[in-house]
Amino acid sequence: MTAGRRRARRRRGFEFLWMTAPAVIVILLFVEIPFLMSITYSFTKWNGLDKVAQFVGLANYRELLTADPGFGGAMTFTLVFTILTVAAINVIALLLAVILDMNLRGKNVLRAAFYIPNIISLIVIGYVWRFIFSRGFDSLGSLTHLGIFQLSWLGDPHLTFFSVVLVSVWQSIGFYMVIYIAGLQTVPREQLEAAVIDGTGPVNRFFRITLPLIMPSVTVAVFYSVSNALKTFDVIFSLTFGGPGTVTTSIALDIYKTAFSDNRFGYGSAKSVVLFLLILVVTVTQLNAFKRREVQA
Amino acid sequence: MMRRPRGALAISCVMAVVALVYIYPLILVAINSLKTFAQIMENVLALPTQLRWENFANAFTLMRYPNLFLNTLLVTCIGTGGVVLLASLAGFKLSRSRTRISWLVFLLCVAPMMIPFHSFMIALVKVARTLHLTNSIPGLGVVYWGLGVPLSLFMYHGFVKTVPGELDDCAAIDGARPLRTFFQVIFPLLQPVTVSVIVINAMWMWNDFLLPLLILGGSKTSQTLQLAAYNFFGQYKIEWQNAMAGVLLTITPAIIFYLILQRHIIKGMVAGAVKG
Repeated sequence: MTAGRRRARRRRGFEFLWMTAPAVIVILLFVEIPFLMSITYSFTKWNGLDKVAQFVGLANYRELLTADPGFGGAMTFTLVFTILTVAAINVIALLLAVILDMNLRGKNVLRAAFYIPNIISLIVIGYVWRFIFSRGFDSLGSLTHLGIFQLSWLGDPHLTFFSVVLVSVWQSIGFYMVIYIAGLQTVPREQLEAAVIDGTGPVNRFFRITLPLIMPSVTVAVFYSVSNALKTFDVIFSLTFGGPGTVTTSIALDIYKTAFSDNRFGYGSAKSVVLFLLILVVTVTQLNAFKRREVQA
Repeated sequence: MMRRPRGALAISCVMAVVALVYIYPLILVAINSLKTFAQIMENVLALPTQLRWENFANAFTLMRYPNLFLNTLLVTCIGTGGVVLLASLAGFKLSRSRTRISWLVFLLCVAPMMIPFHSFMIALVKVARTLHLTNSIPGLGVVYWGLGVPLSLFMYHGFVKTVPGELDDCAAIDGARPLRTFFQVIFPLLQPVTVSVIVINAMWMWNDFLLPLLILGGSKTSQTLQLAAYNFFGQYKIEWQNAMAGVLLTITPAIIFYLILQRHIIKGMVAGAVKG
C-alpha cells in the first residue's frame, strides 16, 4: 500500500515537472535570467565586445544621478509625458465610452473607428504622423490659413513634445475606451433609472453613481496608461527619434541609445534597473491609491 | 431593449463627424497612396486625378512584401502557438495542484508581468546570441515564448478554476494518460481563454518592433514587416507615394484580422487587461 502510494506520488511529481518545466524554462531563460544579468551588469563597465566586464561598483548609478544631463532630461520628459498622456487618455476615453455606450444608431461603426489606430503598429503610426505633420499640415495650412497648421510640429522643441503626446493619445484612446465601455456595462440600469425618477440630472448621475461603480475599470485603465507611458519607445523612435536634440528622448529610448549606439552596456543596464524601480514604485502606489476608492454596487 | 436617449440622432451625427476627423490621417494615407509624388507635394488633401496602382507594385517589390509577410506570419505563429501550448499546460497543472511548490512556481511564472521589457533587453540580446537565436525568424518566435507566457499562464490559471476537477478524475479512471486527458478533455473547455490568449499575443507579435530589431537587427534576409517599414521610411529622402502604399500594405493584414475577429479581439483585449 505504501509502495503504491509512493509510486503514485512520484508519478504525480513527474507529471507536475514535465507540464510546468517548459513554461518555467522559457521564462527563466528569456526574462528572469536576463533581468538578473542586467542587475549584475549595472555594476560593471562593459562595451559588449570585451570578454570580461569590469566591476565598477556604484559608479554607473552615481553617474546617472549626478553627471548625466541626458538621463535627467529623459526622466523629466518621461514623467511630464506620462502625466499629460494619462490624463488626456483617461478623460477622453471615458467621455467617448459614455457617449458610445448609449443606444445610438451606428455605435458599432463609431467604436470601430476609434479603435482602429490601436491595431496599427506604433512604428507605422509614427511614420503616418510624420507625413501628416509635414505634408498634410502644409496643405491644411494653405487651405484654411489657420496658424496651428503653419507651425513646425516636428521642428520646434516645445511643440514636438505635444506632437508626441498627441500621437500617443490618438493611437491608444480606442483601447481604453473599450475598457471603459466594458466597465459601464456592469453598472445596474435600475440604479440609474431610480436616480432619474428621483430627478437627478445626468451630470450628477455620472459623478454620483456611474463613476464610483466603474472605479475598477478606472484603476485598470490608469494602471495600463501609466505603465505604457513610462515605457514609451516605438512611437518616439519613428516620429522624432528623440529629437530635435534630445527633447523627446524617453527613458526607454535613452537606454536603447546608451546600450546599442554608444555601446555602454553596463551603464545602459544601470539605467534599465532605474526604469524598473520607477515603474514598480509608480504603479504600486497608483494601484494602492485607486483600489481604496473602489466601492461595491 | 434599451430606449434611445433624447437627441440620439443628433449625437450620432456629431460623433460621426468626430470619428471622421479622428481617422482622417488614415484616410489621407489611403488617398495619397494612389497619387504621384508631384501631386502629393502640390496638395495632400486633393483626391487623385487618376489612380496610380503602380505605387503599390513599387512598395510590394521594394519591401519584398511576400517574403516579409511570410516571415512575420511565421514569427507570429511560432510565438503564439508556443505560448498557447506552454501556458495552458503549466497554467492548468499549477491551478490543479495545491502544494506549496506549485504556488512558488506560479509566482515565479507570473512575476515577469512586473518587469518592463526595456529593463532586461540588453542582457536578453546576449542570452539570445549565446543560444544562437539571433538573426533567425524561428529564433525570434522562440524568444517570444518567454515574454508571452507569464500573462497567458495567469489567464489560464484563473480560468481553470471554473472547470470542475472531477473531469480530470473521470478521464483518469477511464484510463486516459495525463497528456490525452489534457488535450481531449481539458483544453477544449479552455477555449474562451485560448481565443483571448491568441488574440493578445498575435496582435502584439505582429506589430512589435523593438524585439525584432534587437534579435534580427543586422540580418538582411530575415526581417519582419515592421522592420521593413522602419528601413523603408528611415531613408533620408522619402518617396511619399511609395511610402504611403507601403503603410497600407503593412497595416492591411492586421486590419483584416481585426475586422474578421472584431468581437473576439475586443473581448480578448479587455480580458487580458482586466486580469493582467
